Amino acid sequence: MNEKMEALASSASTAARSAVGDFSSGRARLGEPLWKWATFSPALLLMLGLSVLPVANLVWMSFFNVTWSGGKAIWNSVGIDHYRDLVGDGLFGVGLLNTFIFAAGAVFGQMALGFLAALLCSRISRGRVLYRAVFILPILIPGIVVGAIWKLMLNYDFGIINELTGMVGLDAWDWLGSSSTALMSVMIVDIWHWTPFCFLLFLAGLESLPQDVYEAAQIDGANAWQEFFWITLPMMSSTIAVTFAFRSVLAFKVFDEVYLLTGGGPGTATQVVSFTLYQRFFSENRMGYGAAMSVVVIFVVSLMLVLSLSVKRRAGSTS
Amino acid sequence: MTGRAEQRFSRRGVLAGTAAIAFLGSTRFGWTAASIAPFTIVINQSPWLDGFRKTVELYEKETGNQVELDVNPFAGSLEKQRNSVRASSGQYDLLMMNSGWFAEMYAGGFVEALTDIDSSFKLDPSVYTLNDSVYFDAKAKTMTPSGKLMSVPIQPLIPILYYRADLYKSAGLEVPETFDQLEANARKLNNPPKTYGIVQRGARGGYSVTWDFYPYLGGFGGSIYKDQTAGDYTVVLNNEKGRAALDYYLRLAREVGHPKTASLDQAEVIQNLVTGKAAHAIAVVSAQAQMDDPTKSAVVDKIEYAVPTHQPGINPAPPVGHWLGGIARNVPDDRKHAALQFLRWFQTRDAQMALARAGAIPISADVYRSPLAEERKFRWMKPLAKALEYSVNPFQFAESGEVIPIMELGLNRAVAGELTSVQALNSLAEQIYGIMSKYGYKTAKLEPLR
Repeated sequence: MNEKMEALASSASTAARSAVGDFSSGRARLGEPLWKWATFSPALLLMLGLSVLPVANLVWMSFFNVTWSGGKAIWNSVGIDHYRDLVGDGLFGVGLLNTFIFAAGAVFGQMALGFLAALLCSRISRGRVLYRAVFILPILIPGIVVGAIWKLMLNYDFGIINELTGMVGLDAWDWLGSSSTALMSVMIVDIWHWTPFCFLLFLAGLESLPQDVYEAAQIDGANAWQEFFWITLPMMSSTIAVTFAFRSVLAFKVFDEVYLLTGGGPGTATQVVSFTLYQRFFSENRMGYGAAMSVVVIFVVSLMLVLSLSVKRRAGSTS
Repeated sequence: MTGRAEQRFSRRGVLAGTAAIAFLGSTRFGWTAASIAPFTIVINQSPWLDGFRKTVELYEKETGNQVELDVNPFAGSLEKQRNSVRASSGQYDLLMMNSGWFAEMYAGGFVEALTDIDSSFKLDPSVYTLNDSVYFDAKAKTMTPSGKLMSVPIQPLIPILYYRADLYKSAGLEVPETFDQLEANARKLNNPPKTYGIVQRGARGGYSVTWDFYPYLGGFGGSIYKDQTAGDYTVVLNNEKGRAALDYYLRLAREVGHPKTASLDQAEVIQNLVTGKAAHAIAVVSAQAQMDDPTKSAVVDKIEYAVPTHQPGINPAPPVGHWLGGIARNVPDDRKHAALQFLRWFQTRDAQMALARAGAIPISADVYRSPLAEERKFRWMKPLAKALEYSVNPFQFAESGEVIPIMELGLNRAVAGELTSVQALNSLAEQIYGIMSKYGYKTAKLEPLR
């Protein structure tokens, strides 16, 4: 897939160079650095305005306590107190821990199921449109509806899950209200919701793998397992790494499913870091402290992204 | 001549027309006299919303004025209000402020005193002032009638006791007044999973388990603070009364309650009532609208209402979970006046009667004394009127938004069995004391319970 992309990019680049050749020679006369900055600056300003400035504002706010009086905000500097307080904030600590557990479990489940489904479906030649439509359905459902559907399904008194388990003689279980199963239940909902995303990426990757490699392996007498472990997995490593990066970052930011299904409870069983952030920033109206927490969360998410991408680069160079 | 005569006639006509308008303006049709700017109400999605919406529609029909309702979930409503009032120019004119956050709006200077908008505006004497929460003295930071009139009550929501009259009749039970009587009756009617003795609201939320627990805390003589009205924020939650209340609350949940109380929110408590699974619940009065609705309820005409139970010699203590209508400071004057015009109309007896008939809860004591309160459909009115006499306001300070989530988590953990009552109360008291100290309130704490 990478080779195809590179070939496409190369030919597009050549065509573009030839089309703008005359214009480029005129541009050089105007002074290339100036021209470069003039064309680049609108995009740069837009990027600064939309992404860097809000983050800078958040960082600035994290050094203040913000209160309101007479309809006006009053900013009192507190130095790095908020960052120091984060260390002792039990809800933040448990939020981070639960988020890592959640992200690890949900992403592993989504990738394993998505890969398996993609492997099976890549062999199907008839009814592609139908099975793809069925598979991607959960992604198309808004989070609020997913929450409502699963909250009803997992309801202790009236839920269909307990109705089904009751049919085989099992006692009703409070899936979302029991500390031992609440986080796992939210993970299952997330897996249901996002496995199709992994499936689509993996299927696209599998379908673009060169078939001649498989043919050569078959001539050499490789069995299905050997093909999978020595051809499919290495060649898919780049796609797997990208999917992992996407899903890890998104899973780390989970909020809507927790908010709708459990509200962080029972106790702190499903308290994820986004929910703690929401609680501190909005419910408790602690804007400065919430900003400090946001900065730390942004840092952790960025770190995860960088690590994932470096894994991807390494996987890409190995394959 | 003729032309002059016609002109004179025309002037007369104008004068007559003006007089006619002035006359109409002095009658009940007067609401149509002035051209009023359209205005927006930001409101939450609650059991009483339908009734309120119908009343607003009646106002529009009677007056021709336009009102837009911006409906949101509970937490979303607060966020929208905060964003609007903190901007240089507000989007929402009339804010529906909950008991959990109206103090923040008063103290932050986000709502304008109604008498500053129009000095002639007065609260109707028959309207409940709900622990004087409609007033605010900005200097003393207290809610007393010596302060300015900041809002008009929209819904006087407090919890009342719901019980299954049909089960009571067949078991020969008396309506409970004390906690012991309630527990005894709940034990007799507890027949899980068909019927739970009592269903409580133990889940964490915006203001959920804290509100559910407060009638028990207050009914045992306890409270969170020593005396908020006097400015004494000594944290007394973890005294013996607090422990007795929480032990009782947890015992009911574990022995005669729903097996999964820790995950039940208000909607699920109401669901248990309307499906006939709950023999008792101390729940928000506005849920009554669903009890006799045959499209929603399996217990039509089977639920009766009473004042929340309490310990002998101690008053009931239903906490206010009320809604107040306040006018944003940062909106244009014409919209402020339009919102005030609506509030003026909303207090009238006719509007309040219409509100009750539409399924919401009136704020005028007149309605509770009217023949309407004698009708079977409105049998909840008399217990509510009685309970309102004892209502308490647990949070009277601007930073309540910081205390409530702490209470929610601590109580939820106790209900879920993660903490004992003593651990929960000591931990809550310590955290609340920290918050009150941080904001400079006069506060102190008790020795931890053992």
